[in-house]
Amino acid sequence: MSDFEMELEVNGRKVRRRIEPGQRLLDFLRDDLNLTGTKEGCGAGECGTCSVFVDGKLVKSCLMPAAKAQGTKVETVEGLAKPGELTPVQRAFHKTGASQCGYCIPGMVMAATSALRENPDAGIDEIKERLGGNICRCTGYTKIFEAVELAREVIAGRLNPATLEADPAGESFIGNNVRRLDAPSKVSGRLRYAGDMVMPDMLHMQVLRSPHAHAKIRSIDTSAAEALDGVACVITCDDVPGEDGFGVFVHDQPVMARGKVRHVGEAVAAVAAEDIATARKALKLIRVDYEELPGLFDPEDAMQPGAPVIHDYAPDNIVKHIPVRKGDVEKGFAEADIIVEQTYETQQVEHAYLEPEAGIAYVDADDVVTVISPSQNITHHRHMLAHIIDRPINKVRFIMSPVGGGFGGKEDMIYQGMLALAAMKTHRPVKLVFTREESIIASAKRHPSRVTYRMGLKKNGRITAASFRMISDGGAYGMSTEGVMRKAAILSCGPYDIPNVQIDTYGVYTNNTPSGAFRTFGGMQAQFATESHLDICAEKLGLDPFEIRRINMMRDGAVTHTQQKLGSVSLARVLEAAEKASRWEAGPVGQRGPVRGDLGGEGTRQPCTLGSRIKSADGHNKEKVA
Amino acid sequence: MMARRMRGRGVAASWYGIARTATIDRAGAWAELDDGGTAKVVTGVTEIGEGILTLLAQVAAEELGVRPEDVTLGDNDTARSPEAAHAGATRQTYMIGNSVALACRDARAKLFAEIADHWDVAEDTLRAFNGELWAEGSNLKMTMEEAVAVCKRRGVVPVGSGSFTAHGTGLDPVDGSGSPWQAYVFGTQVAEVEVDTITGEVQVLGIWAAHDVGRAINPRGVEGQIEGGVVQGLGQALMEDYQLDKGHTTTHGFAKYILPTSLDIPEITSVIVEDRDPLSPLGAKGIGEPALVPTAPAIMNAIHDAIGVRITSLPATPEKVLAALKAKQQSEQQRQAAE
Repeated sequence: MSDFEMELEVNGRKVRRRIEPGQRLLDFLRDDLNLTGTKEGCGAGECGTCSVFVDGKLVKSCLMPAAKAQGTKVETVEGLAKPGELTPVQRAFHKTGASQCGYCIPGMVMAATSALRENPDAGIDEIKERLGGNICRCTGYTKIFEAVELAREVIAGRLNPATLEADPAGESFIGNNVRRLDAPSKVSGRLRYAGDMVMPDMLHMQVLRSPHAHAKIRSIDTSAAEALDGVACVITCDDVPGEDGFGVFVHDQPVMARGKVRHVGEAVAAVAAEDIATARKALKLIRVDYEELPGLFDPEDAMQPGAPVIHDYAPDNIVKHIPVRKGDVEKGFAEADIIVEQTYETQQVEHAYLEPEAGIAYVDADDVVTVISPSQNITHHRHMLAHIIDRPINKVRFIMSPVGGGFGGKEDMIYQGMLALAAMKTHRPVKLVFTREESIIASAKRHPSRVTYRMGLKKNGRITAASFRMISDGGAYGMSTEGVMRKAAILSCGPYDIPNVQIDTYGVYTNNTPSGAFRTFGGMQAQFATESHLDICAEKLGLDPFEIRRINMMRDGAVTHTQQKLGSVSLARVLEAAEKASRWEAGPVGQRGPVRGDLGGEGTRQPCTLGSRIKSADGHNKEKVA
Repeated sequence: MMARRMRGRGVAASWYGIARTATIDRAGAWAELDDGGTAKVVTGVTEIGEGILTLLAQVAAEELGVRPEDVTLGDNDTARSPEAAHAGATRQTYMIGNSVALACRDARAKLFAEIADHWDVAEDTLRAFNGELWAEGSNLKMTMEEAVAVCKRRGVVPVGSGSFTAHGTGLDPVDGSGSPWQAYVFGTQVAEVEVDTITGEVQVLGIWAAHDVGRAINPRGVEGQIEGGVVQGLGQALMEDYQLDKGHTTTHGFAKYILPTSLDIPEITSVIVEDRDPLSPLGAKGIGEPALVPTAPAIMNAIHDAIGVRITSLPATPEKVLAALKAKQQSEQQRQAAE
């Protein structure tokens, strides 16, 4: 232990501790003082989840060495209000529904508090500017802005504090804006996510990841790592007692690389040690002998005959092809007055939940292997882990910790298996928290897509036929690719009544970061193409975009592309609702011109322009804030 | 000559299926009317941010006649709760919400049977809401705390269970025919953008989002889902781009992987449309995923309306917008020269 003794004030209490030189203020608060309301989202000062006050200034505690806080007054989210109480800012977040997953919220509450302390009369543009260093992935920020404005009004005495209370019950709790039950624990930093949890005698895990996109593993030598003081165990695929393999649809992914690696960042081995630093040191002592293989980085290359094979079970590198056929597409094109062709592309997208993957595993007194993690599917993970560790289902237990954002990205069991194996090998609790960089390289992304679209239409705008072919990069493992291709195919040509369709979606293996489940599961990629295409067709036919959609829309009793007969279809209602709410001014696509009545009115914000929008505070009610 | 800042509007519609695709989805829940007029509900999922716990407390309160804050939720544990399966596929309200409603109705029926006998009234005259229970057409009334005590004195613990299923069929492997979902939702979004034709920067100033959710259990929660979905769609439309170079990412942190922040956010007007689902005890469908679907195409259509160029490859970065504008100007010049 270092001999640097630090003295400071934290949340109004004097604290004196010996600290490690180089320790971050964030770690000091979380690990030494157990103030886990301050979260780590990126460790690079980019997301703001770790925001605290140091001598009244908002700082990102992941960027500040703890030793620099010597003699300062530090205030964390836990210190804003007395235990059991909430500040007006926190109460306003509760009232407006400004917290969803809640992981960014302590930092957001700090930034909002700072904004109103700096200028109690801050307008909406200034509030937005002052929250600009804090990322939220769930809420779309809108309810957060509303909360800060509400708090401002209450603090200034322009609104009655009763505004922050619950709405009356009325005649039903259904349809009532009941305030979120989990919000008080989130706005105060009290809720513990997996990364905030500790258990007595707990070990810390670190993972060795592949530096290669595609390589054979000739050998792994863990002996030097195992010999290091403080290392409790090193695990590789050889420690898997049962059938190794997981995946949402096809179980093609081993807990750790088996025989070869298929993407950069794939887990190869893991160390559990007394502390993180020792575990990291041990990783450097593991020797892996790789033989690089030719890699595939484009799905169309992977589909070529003779392309390198990534998984032996799929010699054509196809994870899944979903065909949908209805009517006679050639006849439909023959009947068309115009045929419109276009290709569309969407990119790979990161979920960017603010809570990186984290978990703890232990074997309990009844020999039940237990994993606590923000898993989006504990039922399925329990099944898969039981096979992997060869235990009866009732000897495997998954506990779903509060999820700090998922969006589909936490459906894949990419680390829970390693935790379970290390806990079984050591009979001690084992904890793993991903860094942001690790989360980005090891977790699934939204499938990128290439769509080739062909649509035939009559002059009156009626669609006679559509052919839709989508090729998607599934990356190195199957994960949710099969389901994503299925949903993309079913939804592809949109909510339109098209008599003749030919739809094909292909998910393909490559050596890229795997693609998996991501909010809309292929629906977004497919309908981006369809909705863009309809506007191109409308332009060619001189139609208003609402008009072409109404001409072709599914109505009550419509038959879908997969020939399902629907009951009630609400498309006409939502089209009308959006048209009315936006005061849509009708006109053919491409001909409406810049001079019109519907632009810049109600429902729009002012565009951002550079300039000083942060006004200096006169501070007359500064002291009332939090 | 085009003005520097051009505005435009675009629209996109969408559809989406509720719960797991092309399979038989199911979920179970347990409920108990507890001492003090409180309630316990046990289900296998927990919060991922969408507001499911609050929604379940609302549903349980409504079905059992207590208040949302009286409901204790036991959640999230495969060894302590019935199967709920995954927190995704826009299935939480539909699958877990309905299974909790059925479990609560089961528990309530046991309580009502005892109270009806105790009061000597017909069971179907009993009503319970907000912590009170009464018999219609009489002056018989008691608190839920008293009702649970009466029930227990008669030797009955009012417990219930519920299982809800959404039937989908698999797709035919040749022609893809099948009925993958029993409930569908529809949505439409209008986007208004401003394009800076010198820098290529696109700002989204307004989004009007109309979505059918079946029935809004918590309208503010629905708005939150729409706003979050819209902003994720905006990120994909304009800035987010996970990049790889021979399998190695070059966007390994939030300095390189650009996400929407507070200054990127349009004003969002949500319009909730309710077309109740006849197969759902609650009438509700869902909103988590569908809210994201139309945003990016609505923005691309609005860019086209503003400056006459069509971006078919996401994201519409300033570089792409400028390249498209340049290509458009060149082709116009060529056409003019030819004329």
